Amino acid sequence: MIKALVQVTVAVTCLAAPPVLLAADTPTSKTIAITGGKLLTVSHGTIENGVLVLADGKIAAVGTAAEVKIPKGAQIVDAKGLTVYPGLIDPETNFGLTEISADAMTNDLAERSDEIMPHMHVSDAFHSETDLIPVARLNGITNAVVAPASDDSIAGQDIFIQLYGSRNQMMLATDVALAMNYGAEQRRSNGFRGGHATYPSTRMGLVTELRQTFLDTQDYMAKRDAAGKKDDKAFKRDLKFEALIPYLKGERPVVIGVYESYDVETIMHLAQEFHLKVILNHVTQTQDVLDEIAAWKVPVIIGSIYDAPRANERYDAVFTLPAELAKRGVKIAISSADGGGPASSHSSRNLPYAAGFAVGYGLPYDDALKAITLNVAEMFGFGDKLGSLDVGKMANVVIANGDPLDVRTDVKQVYIQGIAVPMVSRQTKLRDEYSK
Amino acid sequence: MGSLRRPLHICVRCSRFVPLLLATACVPALGRAQQSPPADIVFKGATVMTASHGTLSPGQVWVHAGKIAGVGATVSAPDSATVVDATGLWLTPGIIDPHSHSALDGDVNEATSPVTPSMHMIDAFDNRSADLYRALAGGVTTELLLHGSANMIGGQAVVIKNKFGLDRDAMLFPNAPGSIKFASGENPMRVYGSRDQLPSTRMGNFEVMRMAFEDARHYMADWDAYDAKVKKGDKDAVAPKRDLKLEALADVLRGKLYVQIHCYRADEFLTEEAIAKEYGYKIRAFHHALEMYKVAPQIAADGTGIATFTDWWGFKDEARDAIPWNAVMSMRQGVKVALKSDSDDHIRRLNVEAGKMVHYGGATEDEAIRMVTLNAAWIIGVDDRTGSIDVGKDADLVLWNHDPLSTYAHALKVYIDGDLFFDASLPGWGTTHFNGVMHDGGGFGSDDGEDGQ
Repeated sequence: MIKALVQVTVAVTCLAAPPVLLAADTPTSKTIAITGGKLLTVSHGTIENGVLVLADGKIAAVGTAAEVKIPKGAQIVDAKGLTVYPGLIDPETNFGLTEISADAMTNDLAERSDEIMPHMHVSDAFHSETDLIPVARLNGITNAVVAPASDDSIAGQDIFIQLYGSRNQMMLATDVALAMNYGAEQRRSNGFRGGHATYPSTRMGLVTELRQTFLDTQDYMAKRDAAGKKDDKAFKRDLKFEALIPYLKGERPVVIGVYESYDVETIMHLAQEFHLKVILNHVTQTQDVLDEIAAWKVPVIIGSIYDAPRANERYDAVFTLPAELAKRGVKIAISSADGGGPASSHSSRNLPYAAGFAVGYGLPYDDALKAITLNVAEMFGFGDKLGSLDVGKMANVVIANGDPLDVRTDVKQVYIQGIAVPMVSRQTKLRDEYSK
Repeated sequence: MGSLRRPLHICVRCSRFVPLLLATACVPALGRAQQSPPADIVFKGATVMTASHGTLSPGQVWVHAGKIAGVGATVSAPDSATVVDATGLWLTPGIIDPHSHSALDGDVNEATSPVTPSMHMIDAFDNRSADLYRALAGGVTTELLLHGSANMIGGQAVVIKNKFGLDRDAMLFPNAPGSIKFASGENPMRVYGSRDQLPSTRMGNFEVMRMAFEDARHYMADWDAYDAKVKKGDKDAVAPKRDLKLEALADVLRGKLYVQIHCYRADEFLTEEAIAKEYGYKIRAFHHALEMYKVAPQIAADGTGIATFTDWWGFKDEARDAIPWNAVMSMRQGVKVALKSDSDDHIRRLNVEAGKMVHYGGATEDEAIRMVTLNAAWIIGVDDRTGSIDVGKDADLVLWNHDPLSTYAHALKVYIDGDLFFDASLPGWGTTHFNGVMHDGGGFGSDDGEDGQ
């Protein structure tokens, strides 16, 4: 009970203000001036031969060489011929919840004992020392949402992380969003875990159970308010309902993972009934309801764009989805979720290539870059802190030898909160060991 | 014996499929105007990545009667040739996937016994699978469809040309060498270990193989003895009973089949090579081979190549030490390296996977494109026929909108044997030969469970 209280407090605090790093944990961040590079600001265009000043973990200045005065004593990083851009943000990962996909004991992906598990906190399981994080970081991923896997209708609450620092530093915000899912996968139908069907074994059951849960939560909220007025010590808290309150109040986003058109329509109907603040996720089989999605004015995370089209659909039916949604004015993010690669986030390092692939199928370049930076930050309440090269934002910056979305590009240096992160992972160590 | 089996196998099908084949060949218009390809085609203005002798920018390629008749700064094609203006575009050999389980409707593993060498993937091949179409749209012209990795000795592969829309037998790569799939490591351990059967360990893995080859040797000796008697004119000689399983293994020992081995760890490569030497066969390639960078010089000396993932890792314990530099590091040590999909998703974008090799290890563009064309053809044993833009080779060609190694590339036109099979500018599917209903491929990821799902 006390634990839950603390967590709610942390979450609210983190959403309201940037996290305060514990002094003991803070590595030193020098003042750094990155000069001569091509700056992709995301928010205000491209600056050739730009200067970017990082100080106190934040972006202190950004502009052309003529505009920006380099502070005395700043470490100069020559980025001539290189490209400089904000750190990439992966909107859906399992970082710290998995290590070896096939090894059950290294996985904390989802609590499958029940479908309604809003009180599962990713922050409780987050293994910050995972090998997956440095691997992704080397390709310029500096931030990510960590969500439970999609087995449950309500799987738990996400965290928003940065990919460097101590565990506490990395968790920029806990309980930042509710992970909800709807569709065939969540049914406890015959064969689920090899057993017999249990409720809810159909989509009817899934929706009814969700609706009942939300009604019960509203009922609980009313009783809780009444008890609060009476200062009723006898009121017994229910952690499951407590967890749902901020979401039913529309204070925090609910990320709904759903694939098929008709499932999207069904679950949006329910979400609107309870005034949830929705972020749609996946939507890879919704080609026939794109106008409807646009009309809902909800942001959409698209992933994996490598999902298979239905048989008899054109080969690029899913590849073109980001372009089609962006064209309709939808705020989009693109996730790394890899249709054909390893399950989970071992492929997060390929995030920029998914965005680039969408460009190949019609998404304007600037929209693609936004879909893995600023748009993600804005969806999860970090729009004023991350996602673009703007003064005052966290100094999460990447220097690469070319176009960040091109698969051939090599990332040279990553900065997180102004600190030059060691460009090392378990994989580079193996490479170097066997290159001797 | 082995030579007896194959004609028999194919003849059984001839009786059923020849009429269909003829129908397709003689009456090509199955409800849609369909013309035979022009005798001569010239591509002009494209950046031509030959895969064998560098890049011409721009270059010209002349196709005559389904074969490449000329390649260079200019070619001497007849005036009657159909000219494809490819200015600003890229032309490469068709992409080749040396490890696919597409179009088998999940019939990938006969996981009822660890040694099933007489399984033939052709028997499961569904030529109307949407996976073939999507691969074609990704520029894939040739695929090696392999048995899975549940068994130590799985079954015999089928090599296809991705002529999507043609009859099943018209999609087979004519006279391609036969390949057989072996596997070791976690997959057979898990499949049989979970049933408390042999093999549940790598010790069991390899002993199962040796036991099978001992049986095959005995079988071969019986036949040799019989053949010798017949040769001497012994009219009473009784032929041994034909055994399809042992015949297939005998074909391995006789070097008639290319051995393609699924395995991950460095120690397994060494053990597999030792067993191959013990029984006198050669290993064509290790597939996955994620730890090849640890022992590359030793394996290069054995002449075994690899068909590997670019950057998959961590999906199982034996993929823990996978690094994305594996392919280029192994190549630099002399190993013939191809990239492969093992996935109905990745097969659609193997060109982009090749682009990663520029990033991870600094492969040249020439080296990178070779990993998904000529080297992949070598793994299959068809590198004398396809895999590069050289005079005399099959005109398997892809025209791209962009540098095929970049993230932004997609295939505009795909030609196989000089015939256009995919054209992205066409409405609908973009197919030129396919009519009817596609069958669902039924999976996103690795059909062989290599993604840990």
